[in-house]
Amino acid sequence: MKRSFLLIAFIGMSVLSLGQTADEIINQYFETIGGLEKLNTISSVEMKAKVDYGGMSIPLQIVSMKDGRQFTKINFQGKEITQGAYDGTTAWGTNFMTMKAEKEDAESTENIKRSVGDLVSPFLNYNDKGYSVELLPNETIEGVDCFKLKLTKKPLLVDGEGVPNVEFYYIDKDNYVPIVVEQEINQGEMKGQISQTVFSDYQEVDGAYFAFSITQRIKDGMGQTIVIDSIELNKNYEESMFAFPAE
Amino acid sequence: MKKLVSIGILWTAFSVNAQEASVIAGKEIFGDLKARQIGPALMSGRVSDIEGHPTNNKVIYIGTAGGGVWKSQDGGVRFNSIFDDLPQSIGAVAIDPSDPDNTLWVGTGEVWTRNSVSIGDGIYRSNDGGNNWKKFGLEKTERISAIEIDPRDQNTIYVGALGALWGDSEDRGVFKTTDGGQTWTKILFVNAATGCSDLIMDPNDPNTLYASFWEFRRTAYSFNSGGMNSSLYKSTDGGKTWAKIHNGFPTGKLGRIAVTVAPSNSQILYAVVEAEKANEKGLYRSDDAGKTWKHLNSDFELTVRPFYFSRIVVDPKDPETVAKAGLGGSISHDGGKTFKNLGSMHSDIHDIWFDIKDSDKMFVATDGGLYRSLNGGTTMEIIENLPICQFYHVSVDNHTPYNIYGGLQDNGSWFGPSASPGGIEARDWESVGMGDGFRVYSHPTNPSIVYSEMQGAEGVWRYDQEKKQMKVIKPWPVQGDPKLRFNWNAAITTSKHAPDRLYMGSQFLHRSDDKGDNWTKISPDLTTNDASKQNQVESGGLSADNSGAENHCTIFTIAESPLDQNVIWIGTDDGNVQLTTDGGKTWANVTANLTGIPKNTWCYHIEASVFNKGTAYAVFDGHTRNDKSTYVLKTADFGKTWKSIITADVSGFTRNIQEDYKNPELLYLGTEFGLYVTVDGGAHWYKFTNGVPAAAVHYIEMHPKTNDLILGTHGRGIIIIDDVSPLRELNTEVMSKTLHFFTPQTVYMDETSSFGGASGETQFVGSNPSTSAKISYYLSKRHTFGKMTLEIFDNNANKISNVSPGKQKGINIVEWNYVSMAPKVASGKTIDAGGFFAPRVVEGRYKIVITKGKETFESFIDVKYPENSMYSAEERKLQHETTMKMFSMTEDLAYMVYEIDELIAHTDNTLKTNASLKKQALKLNTELNALKDGLVITKGDNYVGAGEKQLREKLSDLYSTVGSYYGAPSKTQLENLAMLEKQLQEAKKSFSAIKSAQVTKYKTATEKAGIKFIELKSFEEFVKKD
Repeated sequence: MKRSFLLIAFIGMSVLSLGQTADEIINQYFETIGGLEKLNTISSVEMKAKVDYGGMSIPLQIVSMKDGRQFTKINFQGKEITQGAYDGTTAWGTNFMTMKAEKEDAESTENIKRSVGDLVSPFLNYNDKGYSVELLPNETIEGVDCFKLKLTKKPLLVDGEGVPNVEFYYIDKDNYVPIVVEQEINQGEMKGQISQTVFSDYQEVDGAYFAFSITQRIKDGMGQTIVIDSIELNKNYEESMFAFPAE
Repeated sequence: MKKLVSIGILWTAFSVNAQEASVIAGKEIFGDLKARQIGPALMSGRVSDIEGHPTNNKVIYIGTAGGGVWKSQDGGVRFNSIFDDLPQSIGAVAIDPSDPDNTLWVGTGEVWTRNSVSIGDGIYRSNDGGNNWKKFGLEKTERISAIEIDPRDQNTIYVGALGALWGDSEDRGVFKTTDGGQTWTKILFVNAATGCSDLIMDPNDPNTLYASFWEFRRTAYSFNSGGMNSSLYKSTDGGKTWAKIHNGFPTGKLGRIAVTVAPSNSQILYAVVEAEKANEKGLYRSDDAGKTWKHLNSDFELTVRPFYFSRIVVDPKDPETVAKAGLGGSISHDGGKTFKNLGSMHSDIHDIWFDIKDSDKMFVATDGGLYRSLNGGTTMEIIENLPICQFYHVSVDNHTPYNIYGGLQDNGSWFGPSASPGGIEARDWESVGMGDGFRVYSHPTNPSIVYSEMQGAEGVWRYDQEKKQMKVIKPWPVQGDPKLRFNWNAAITTSKHAPDRLYMGSQFLHRSDDKGDNWTKISPDLTTNDASKQNQVESGGLSADNSGAENHCTIFTIAESPLDQNVIWIGTDDGNVQLTTDGGKTWANVTANLTGIPKNTWCYHIEASVFNKGTAYAVFDGHTRNDKSTYVLKTADFGKTWKSIITADVSGFTRNIQEDYKNPELLYLGTEFGLYVTVDGGAHWYKFTNGVPAAAVHYIEMHPKTNDLILGTHGRGIIIIDDVSPLRELNTEVMSKTLHFFTPQTVYMDETSSFGGASGETQFVGSNPSTSAKISYYLSKRHTFGKMTLEIFDNNANKISNVSPGKQKGINIVEWNYVSMAPKVASGKTIDAGGFFAPRVVEGRYKIVITKGKETFESFIDVKYPENSMYSAEERKLQHETTMKMFSMTEDLAYMVYEIDELIAHTDNTLKTNASLKKQALKLNTELNALKDGLVITKGDNYVGAGEKQLREKLSDLYSTVGSYYGAPSKTQLENLAMLEKQLQEAKKSFSAIKSAQVTKYKTATEKAGIKFIELKSFEEFVKKD
């Protein structure tokens, strides 16, 4: 009798976990990586990272601010190259040929503006940002049974038209952290193909958890991994570090 | 206490079960074993349906016969597959007119019902433009001909279901849903033998529908089109009531009817009718929305093979312009009175699509891919990136890289390489047969000879592909022989024991020992020889269709034992399994010993074991008897007893099985819905999905040298899974370990050039296998938390490389391109390309260390020079030593430039901040800059504005050139090196002179002035790589 009760209780727990809503999963995810309160206090993230490629170990410095300002500095043979920089108005990067800064096109800049507020996780306050979330049937990825969340963000501008900006998050059912994010490539030659970003090596930084290994790849293809050596939170930066440099 | 015990027991029981389940369940075991699809796309394959976005002409979808659904977002230039995981045979694609950017429906199961047509399993919807799919029932309809969505209400949808081809079925007719597919009501049904072949909604009145019904049936040995039940119906009340609209149609039996409404004028309808009398067949037109019909035309293109070409399409803007699918396709600009042929393209047209904004732009679906016209169909160009060809069979040869041979539905016979510089391109494939292609083989020892055939063995060829000479070598009947019966896909195979031997199956087994010049019958009729199944001349129904596709009572599979040439297995299309153990002198019919196989079920393939000559596997395909069960049997006693090795894990009727060459428990199974693998002799089967779509796998071959699995799919071309050897070690023990390294495979370094590749971005290019070293291991649990690294060390425990480890649960395959780390390079104004070169390691054993949290796991990998190398060991030694000498020189120079840069920066600062030291600082600064100018580029950019090359650039040029050629450096190169060495020594001397003459004094002076002097890193710190 007691065993039956326990069995029923256990089955009941399983059913409960099966019936989780998207928000419950997101809340559990926030809880796992440090708690909503902590996450909301993060105003900047700086990663010191490297990419191992063809015998080279290429150092990167990636800085992202809550207000959307950001830059990535790559060091080649002692020369610093900036990519993916945005100062709140202008998005820019270094041209590899001239080694001079060039502005991104207007659409790319606009699309960066539309993703402001995604620091740490785009799910943070997603309702306030006008994003929507839908729970899809579970899927196995990386050998792991995952919740699959469809996150619809603000539309992207592509060739002058708004296109849906949708990301699919695969969240490990056992530990509630995202392990893969998928997105259809919206423009360029690869348009229509699926890109995947794979997360692992989660480690604690001042009470919050971050993936220290991030791999970018085309679905079913080989990837390129960024290995993160260290993360610092809530640092202050000179405005000039983000700004499009004057000639 | 008791309660605790109970919990403990329960928990333990659950844990054990959970662990067992986690060990053996799921596709995840395959992990990084991923397939590469190599196409080809030059001959493409059958496209069954085209659907364009109603307002955005950049978005076009196509459904294909066996290759799923493809989407273009650039107006039909490039297409991506969006339906990989689901049945690949497509009947209809429909876009929801009220949400055309996101919502689309796919009805599975092609409706062009040739003998080799596949089946579907219902209807699917995507709400995100094709990224995710959900099934919405109609599972048993097998073939969906049309989907019509009410533009006023996206939940109201009508579906035409043609239904089963090979038997009676109640699951056909017109279905309607008003709740978005949650429930369906069959609103029009004729009988179990008659299905809905076309369904059209009036574009201007969603309550008006036209539905054509077709009475049809195939068996393995016959085809019938037509009967008294074929008919055309109309509803004007959303399908509540239907009326036959035959006023003006021929009487008597009708066959397949294509129908359409002119979008610009709902009164004008066109119907193409298959009828009894030749002069009553063809195109009918109604100008009163179906009340009356007038016969207009019986041209060949309008009456040819209605089962295959019944589609008619009207220009969306002009009701008088109408295009008809057909052998070549035709178009009328006078409302159907006269037609002209469409431009030259692959024959067998199934659908036509007019661009919504420009009717001169058309897309046409053929047996050989999708074509585009920009001038109203006059000239056609093929879309070159649709690898949807339909292979019936594949084989491989022993070349390096090996070639793949196979024949295609309506697209001849071909061979092409498994790897090619720049990727496997259209130009890499060579045609070796015409017509429909089937089984193609390379001669086992003479690589220039290829055997191929066409349908029904009408042509069997021996082709010398070097001399370009061809000879017909099919067996001929001799005195006393009955007519030889060859299957559409006639059995032919080579021998593992006698290189010049060929076997070929009619109803007899024929053997040739002289490459097909002469043949000997080595069996009696091995089929059931059922006369009632040999009347193909009557096949077709209202339209005669005796193409050979229904030839029956034939041998279909021949399997000579790899262990004994006298042991030969035969399987026939009418269900016999026969065996000889004396090279054909005597035969045993073992059909009666089969277990659980219905009588006369097609024996599709027999695989003779490489481990035991009494062991064989046989797969049976009952779909032509309307039996979609999965049948796989194994015998270990020469067919005396058989047992089923199939489980409910497998879906789809079976086409082929391949036994692994090393592990008898490891089997690969091809079904109508993809590839399955068992690692325990069939006790459990897992579906392999990593790059293998749910396509019909008609044939599987395994390459004995590379351990690659090569799939011939009927709709997605050739698919290769490179080196599946890790699967041989999978068992519950391995899968329970935290990390298990698979037995390392020796890697032979690739020394071929990187030249190659001539295809443009609109052409399909199949990817090459990786040439890197592969480090393979199994993780029982995904690594998600904490650090995990993979490092490679040489014999002297020096770290050679960091590689990103795979972390997924299952098989991980990490690639290392056998290079060590690149040198630290001097910093200049520009980036030095040669300085990125990382030297390749020397031949030897390298240690692999994976650190996962606090645990470490070690393995090794052997790296060797290529076996056929043109370089001697001495040459390689000199090359490596010279390269590493320049590696050191590069780093010496880098350190010197670093010291100089630090000093220049310091003196620059002093010049700005301390007037009293100005003179001293300026002198030093000037001399350092002058020295640096000769060491690295200090001006210009990284392109055509580059400055003159200096020592860094000259050195890195030579270093990367010598390092990337694997033979000895030339005398000139060594002389160049001597010159650069001298320059470096001189530079060092100059710097040393500056240091001793000035730097010491400058340091003293600045420190005296309270200025902190620079703190240099040591050389070791400076060159540290991570």
